[in-house]
Amino acid sequence: MPDHFVTSEPDEAVKLALERIRETTAAGRGSDMEGLEFNEVVVNMGPQHPSTHGVLRLVVTLDGELVKDVIPVIGYLHRCKEKLAEKRTYYQYIPIVDRTEYLASMNCEWGYVMTVEKLMGIRPTRRAEFIRVIVGELMRIASHQVAVGTFVADLSPLGTAMVFYMFRDRELILDLLEEVSGARMMFNYLRFGGVRYDLPAGWVEKCRQLMKRMPKLIDEYESLVDDNAIFLQRTQGKGIITQQDIVDYGITGPNARASGVPLDLRRTRPYSVYPELDFEVCTATHGDVFDRYRVRMDEMRESVKIVEQCLDMLPRGPVQLGSLRAPYVITPPPGSCYVGQENPRGEYGTYIVSDGSRYPYRLKFRDPCFCNLQLFPKLLSGNKIADAVAISGSIDLVLGGIDR
Amino acid sequence: MGLSDMVPDRLKVGYPKLEDFHDPNVITTTADFIFSWARSNSVFPFTYGLACCAIEMLSSGFARFDVARYGMEVFRPTPRQSDLMIVAGTVNEKMAPVLKRLYDQMAEPKWVVSMGACATSGGPFYDGYNVVNGVDKVVPVDVYIPGCPPRPEALFQGLLELQTKIKQHSFAPKLPGAQDG
Amino acid sequence: MTLEIGTVTLGIDKIAEQLSGAFAGELDDVRVQEPDTVVARLERTKLKDVARRLKELPELAYETLNWIAGVDLGSQLESVYHVYSWHTNTYLELHVAVPRAKAELDTVTDVWPAADWHERESWDMVGIRYLGHPDLRRILLKDDFVGHPLRKDYVDLAENHPHA
Repeated sequence: MPDHFVTSEPDEAVKLALERIRETTAAGRGSDMEGLEFNEVVVNMGPQHPSTHGVLRLVVTLDGELVKDVIPVIGYLHRCKEKLAEKRTYYQYIPIVDRTEYLASMNCEWGYVMTVEKLMGIRPTRRAEFIRVIVGELMRIASHQVAVGTFVADLSPLGTAMVFYMFRDRELILDLLEEVSGARMMFNYLRFGGVRYDLPAGWVEKCRQLMKRMPKLIDEYESLVDDNAIFLQRTQGKGIITQQDIVDYGITGPNARASGVPLDLRRTRPYSVYPELDFEVCTATHGDVFDRYRVRMDEMRESVKIVEQCLDMLPRGPVQLGSLRAPYVITPPPGSCYVGQENPRGEYGTYIVSDGSRYPYRLKFRDPCFCNLQLFPKLLSGNKIADAVAISGSIDLVLGGIDR
Repeated sequence: MGLSDMVPDRLKVGYPKLEDFHDPNVITTTADFIFSWARSNSVFPFTYGLACCAIEMLSSGFARFDVARYGMEVFRPTPRQSDLMIVAGTVNEKMAPVLKRLYDQMAEPKWVVSMGACATSGGPFYDGYNVVNGVDKVVPVDVYIPGCPPRPEALFQGLLELQTKIKQHSFAPKLPGAQDG
Repeated sequence: MTLEIGTVTLGIDKIAEQLSGAFAGELDDVRVQEPDTVVARLERTKLKDVARRLKELPELAYETLNWIAGVDLGSQLESVYHVYSWHTNTYLELHVAVPRAKAELDTVTDVWPAADWHERESWDMVGIRYLGHPDLRRILLKDDFVGHPLRKDYVDLAENHPHA
């Protein structure tokens, strides 16, 4: 493929941006300044950029500092996961699902494992359900720590204080998860019918102690930015997602809840043992960048509550269905099924078509960030480029999920 | 110590010891040594995190696994100001020209560390239709770090090996027919 | 506008009945997949009309598109639409069969704007062309990629691997 960044031949996305400029110029809305045909310039916020949180390319049409149009170009991390599903057994595919949304691996595994269990018509053991909720919510806290930390770090170089605190505490959570599953990030922990290992001795006590500390740590994070006039000015009133946008584009997760819509799959489409747990669905009213930050911080507190309840309610029993180890090769009956679950970023689910063999026939991911990214052209247009960076950080994208 | 054992003696330059000198204000050493020592202890990495390994790279930059201990905390977002490209994540056919372009934009001397199984050889996605099996098909690599993702400690071992490699860098132009170390 | 979830409490079987009644002759094989999904088959010529009417139903308004999947079933291709109704808090899964020889289908971007990127992905991966789509080009693969990888007869071509 010719190197589009060297040759003068623009690639599809840049061609489209230039085409749109030509259209507005032809419609008579070009420049009103002497000697200029049009005001706009096309700038490439390339796949490698400190503020795009991954290999996302934004072809931005700028009029001075004002963003006129954004064309997101994705696919720079497309790892052929859906095709690989057809060559791996269901069991072999669990580690690959981990790597979809790598910041929330446990929840991604959960989304996949739930679908396969539904196809097979099995339910996990009760103890395993509680363990899944515990590790899922711990992962939610860790994921929000990275999301909010990197978002605040984007806003200003001095904002990196918050990300240091958050990563320091994320290590504490990853320590717990490492004791349970053996890995810091790609856990490969959930199995069809349960989880791989039981909780080690003393883990419950350690987890309880960390959950006692956690609310104070969250207070510490908030104390760093909540009173900061610059942070408030840069985030309040910017990047408002309306409820019509949520309906039109299928926005889910904290991005939807920040606009006042109580869409939380743990309550609207309950799964696992969430119906027995007492927690609030965190919403906010305006739907701007500050509200999305606020909802994520509140959700971290709610997750702490959930983990504490589960630790108290944890029943005894096996953590896997049937024999000591989960079967290596399963053959779900022919059919198709979709189950979505509440990922830290929204509704994450897998649609699996099975033909009765040991490999899935077709596996499709419903990724929340893919749907949220569609809103970018509408959301970023009309803002200054600095606000565009703040808004894109608040949407919380993980390119592993978008590109799969 | 890994790579250092394989360095031939003529390239090993020992640290000068203070008791060797008669005048306490003068240290004699070679240009190779002093410049390579300075370079290896203040490497500016390029933030080229593509995928999951990028998160472990970030973690290694923060409080618990502090990469500032090795002088490498200055992650530059632009290739023109950096001399080490840590390729952390899977490279695919769409990204490969971008990778090459960014590598070309770095100034000499530059080094590439391939972090993780994906950058080394394609990793768990090796049979994908869109995946490049290893970043060394696009740019020359100096250190390979296996793992999926490699722990921050593993990343540090790789960076320490790289420091040893940097210390071998010689300014003498290679004459034609010279024996390569 | 305040969006509320689940204001209408209808059992999923009743919903399936209502849909069979309202779209008799257009929605075939309407069945219930517990706990909250109705699955139905739809013919490709009727897609646009049924999509618009599904969105405008008074009680069961299916206003949000969750995802579109392109599937290669061997003998034919299939486009699966998963839509959500806020009032009843239930889902509807529509399967639209597309012949391999002429893999074309009407777009639903004018009904559900979310379909934009989902249809582009389906075109990219499976090769179903959506007629009337505002900007149907590849989304995940590079622009000059040859072939549609998620088809069962896809063969890995050397042209797609310049960096092998």
